[in-house]
Amino acid sequence: MPTFFLDDSEIPFKDGETILEAAMAAGRYIPHLCWRPELEPHSSCRLCTVNINGRPFSSCTQPALKGQKVECDTEGLLAMRRAVIQMLFIEGNHHCPCCEKSGGCKLQATAYLLGMQDSHFHHRFPVRVRDLSHQGVSLDRDRCIRCEICVRASRALDGKNVFAVHGRGIESHLAVNSVTGLLKDSAISPDDAAVRLCPTGALMAKGHGFEAPIGDRLYDREPLSVAELREYQARRAVHD
Amino acid sequence: MIQLAGPALPGLLEQALERYGGNAQAALQILMSVQRALHHVPDEAVEYLARRLSLPPVRLQGLISFYSFLSARPQGEYVVHMSDNITDQMRDSRKLGAALCERLGVRLGETRGDGRVSVHRTSCIGLSDQGPAALVNYRPVTRLDRERIELIADLINAPVPLSDWPPAFFWVDSNVRRSDVLFRKPPEPGAGLRASLDRGGKNLEAWEEDLAPTDARKHQLDRGGAETLKEIYRSELRGRGGAGFKAGIKWQSVREAARGDRYVICNADEGEPGAFKDRVLLSDYADMVFEGMTVCAHVVGARKGIIYVRQEYWYLHDHLQATLERRRAQGLLGDNILGSALDFDIDLHFGAGAYICGMETAMIKSIEGRRGIPRRRWPLPVHQGYLKGPSVVNNVETFACAAAISARGGAWFAGLGTAQSTGTKLFCLSGDCERPGLYEYPMGVTVREILRDCGALDAQGIQVGGPSGTLINRGDFDRTACFEDLPGVGAMIVFGPKRDLFDAITNFALFFQHESCGLCTPCRVGTTLLANYVKKFERGVGSPVDLEEVKHISSLMRNMAHCGLGQSASNHLMDSLQKFKHIWETRMKSLEFVPAFDLDWALEEARSLTGRTDPDAHLPPRPRV
Repeated sequence: MPTFFLDDSEIPFKDGETILEAAMAAGRYIPHLCWRPELEPHSSCRLCTVNINGRPFSSCTQPALKGQKVECDTEGLLAMRRAVIQMLFIEGNHHCPCCEKSGGCKLQATAYLLGMQDSHFHHRFPVRVRDLSHQGVSLDRDRCIRCEICVRASRALDGKNVFAVHGRGIESHLAVNSVTGLLKDSAISPDDAAVRLCPTGALMAKGHGFEAPIGDRLYDREPLSVAELREYQARRAVHD
Repeated sequence: MIQLAGPALPGLLEQALERYGGNAQAALQILMSVQRALHHVPDEAVEYLARRLSLPPVRLQGLISFYSFLSARPQGEYVVHMSDNITDQMRDSRKLGAALCERLGVRLGETRGDGRVSVHRTSCIGLSDQGPAALVNYRPVTRLDRERIELIADLINAPVPLSDWPPAFFWVDSNVRRSDVLFRKPPEPGAGLRASLDRGGKNLEAWEEDLAPTDARKHQLDRGGAETLKEIYRSELRGRGGAGFKAGIKWQSVREAARGDRYVICNADEGEPGAFKDRVLLSDYADMVFEGMTVCAHVVGARKGIIYVRQEYWYLHDHLQATLERRRAQGLLGDNILGSALDFDIDLHFGAGAYICGMETAMIKSIEGRRGIPRRRWPLPVHQGYLKGPSVVNNVETFACAAAISARGGAWFAGLGTAQSTGTKLFCLSGDCERPGLYEYPMGVTVREILRDCGALDAQGIQVGGPSGTLINRGDFDRTACFEDLPGVGAMIVFGPKRDLFDAITNFALFFQHESCGLCTPCRVGTTLLANYVKKFERGVGSPVDLEEVKHISSLMRNMAHCGLGQSASNHLMDSLQKFKHIWETRMKSLEFVPAFDLDWALEEARSLTGRTDPDAHLPPRPRV
């Protein structure tokens, strides 16, 4: 099997695999929020950026090449990833202490993983519309990080096409495909992949919340990186 | 507002569907034609089109909310878009816009109560050589001054239909001030194409043996294309859109691509503020552009070409359509071009107001009727572009050069310019110069020579290549305009000795915030954070800590942003910090930390909502004058 170098470790890869996929398969976690193994890569969160020959590339879309030297965990890249996470925090309204997703939230878990101590930038405190119209699913746009996992999952995995992004730039936001623009009139269901795969508390199934005490929540038990690597490797084992 | 009686809307929509085709790809073209007719896209139109195009309404609403010229809310019978480039501002466009609003009794960005008029600001409309300019119902009005603005307000108040306005208002000058080989002696229509086709015939004997008897003409065609590709290589032609990628490599990649229909796409989404060369090429030299595209089709084996023109140049639509028609009649487009086996035609496609669509992958999505979001880097458009077919995407000027190269040979072109930047280049001069307009020079010309010719030697700085390019000061005037030194699309905005360059910095920062597509975190959030810092300095309360933050965010965007927009959106800030640091320093309140929160400033929104301007509406109350 051909290999490339991720920092100092040699990573084998299969033809057509991206750097991120090969790294994850080899047990090397590269932070990411908009990437999911079952969906087309999106390269929008930019957390998985690595340096190849001194130039930055998103590792979720960059194909692995034989002998390539990829820098991933340099101090510079870690600092930049931390800043990107800070940007995501100040862009929306993330009130972790009272959010049901706390402890199971990938935004929060990635912030811990990257050693984020404060939000650094000035908070924007945007005014965003919440959609609690649906019996079984809530949409809290305050917590949306525009990763578009729900957009892709609803289309590719649920076969429903419930979500889209509207607007442009900092004003872009999640839109719902229904006559009223509300979830209650859409085809969403609480067990949709679009809901399940939301990395934050933006989309949640109703009727649950705060079920695990602090200390026993998903990412209290093990860090995000460990959980994600195990999940990815199990998935590959099935697919291979 | 413009209203149609009940049955008229479906009629209008059916007309658009017929013209642009009833498929999802046509969505943007159809929406824009509705917008031009009704000055907004009503909900009923969205529902109707969604049904006819088999698309969810949410998808069409996504387009309307992305493109600046589309609007879901009714606009006035007269829609005025005041160009808001720094060159317009330098000629008082903001004051003129305010005067217009006042005389019309309408607030900026809103529609007057009686539905007569709405006034907006918009990014540079490609007329910075004859601004301040505006679009009125998507037609450009140039050389605005107080008198013209008052007249326009009266014509709108009357109301007088646009067709009866003084024709001089709509006069767009080409302003070609210096011609070199390209402008002085453009090849005759068909000359480049004939040369390309002849290259197959002339060498016929040499490779006759390889010919399959049944498809001799195809082989001849292909041999001609191969020979022309060699000429393109020989010319060392590099893309004129700014990135400077070698055209030969791009064309060869598409020619050799394994599968799929091939496409030739011309990028005429001239969005870089201060640029207007495509406008002149399309209005005066459209033949050369279309010829270059056809030569490219010959080389790569494409049957379909698309030219993506920005909405701001809609006024060129009929002229471009007529030129295409004439070329078809002349046998230069269509089936069996010039009697050969070459079949190729070109579709006109217009944008709807989005700078990002100048980025080739965003442009491809826009042509496909989607939101103009740059897609991931791989696979490259030369392998999978428009409709997943291998696609050449080149700038207007690049195709014009290619036509000339095919006609006159690659060696001729390579003999001009510098080692790594061959040929001539068009430069768009605007701002504080005596003779704004278009200048053609061999590549490698010094900035000083350009400034001398346009009458701007007293300039303190030049924004080379538009806001995403390089800001230079007097110490740089001996630098050369070429890929080795100062690359770029050719826009040069001149700032005279008395200008406050911070106005330009502010304008550019707000421009990038407005034009960021919103896909990636660093650009979406970064452009907003940077705009906020610039606004803080504009209020005179900056601090050294803020400068460090600006550098920090800039570096983050350069390294982490998804596409060129975000990567270059802070160039002007970094250049100004290096070369014009005083414009920042004079806006610092102290050399210590100053908080972003300012109690009095926080009341600004309340003041504007209540219309309070009196001293008591400030904290602490301002002394009465």
